[in-house]
Amino acid sequence: MTDILEAHDLDQAAQGAAAVPWRVIVWDDPVNLMSYVSYVFRSYFGYPRDEAERLMLRVHTEGRAVVASGNREAMEHHVHAMHGYGLQATVARGDT
Amino acid sequence: MIVAGLGGGEGVRLVLESEEAMLLSELADQVDSVLLLGEPSDPALGRLLPSAYPDDAEASAEFSRYTRESLVDGKRQAAQRVRDATAVQGDGIVQIELDQSEAWGWLTFLTDLRLILAERVGAAGDDADDEPGDLAAVDDESGAAASETRDDYLRAAYEWAGFVQGSMLEVLDPTDR
Repeated sequence: MTDILEAHDLDQAAQGAAAVPWRVIVWDDPVNLMSYVSYVFRSYFGYPRDEAERLMLRVHTEGRAVVASGNREAMEHHVHAMHGYGLQATVARGDT
Repeated sequence: MIVAGLGGGEGVRLVLESEEAMLLSELADQVDSVLLLGEPSDPALGRLLPSAYPDDAEASAEFSRYTRESLVDGKRQAAQRVRDATAVQGDGIVQIELDQSEAWGWLTFLTDLRLILAERVGAAGDDADDEPGDLAAVDDESGAAASETRDDYLRAAYEWAGFVQGSMLEVLDPTDR
């Protein structure tokens, strides 16, 4: 019984490490128009209008927002795209 | 400057006075120059090409190695297209029609322009001989009056670029839909 439980715990720990997602963080920039940031979130990520507005407002009021999470390569791709749009975006590990 | 819809929100039509077109063309040319000739230490370039890993120099350099060239190319291309579309001879009205993808090029160009302008406002004074609209980085310290004129010009251009971008967004992405 103990063995099984331990094995199970290890399994979960291993899965957890592999599944730590990476994140795309967009930072507030007083230069960018709110309507522009929201339009980028909708057009690029395909967020519905409400969600794009919510994320844009979070960037605006809290200074930053996580706009995507997943594997590192995909997140770097998104950040590359955000820089193309002129947004200040960074990649961060999900557990930081 | 008049900004109107085109084909049911699928594009945008810009109507510019020739002076506005000339100004935009000049600014676009200067954005292109900043991207082409900007010193790595130029803070405006830091705004256009930010670090993806501000806390990890190695990952940041790696990311930059793979993305910088295409980012710079994309931004230069957008600036050049605006420059060419607005490079007109003589007086009169300039009409420009943009489909959605062309409009994105303008929106991103206007963003890059505003990022540079925001960085340049309040930068150290410049030579009185300098053109007031020069977006090149300023290193030297001189004439307070000249730098005030320059800041006024940069601020006006910043506001105007924001107005143009906002008007385009109202057409491309009406909120009352």
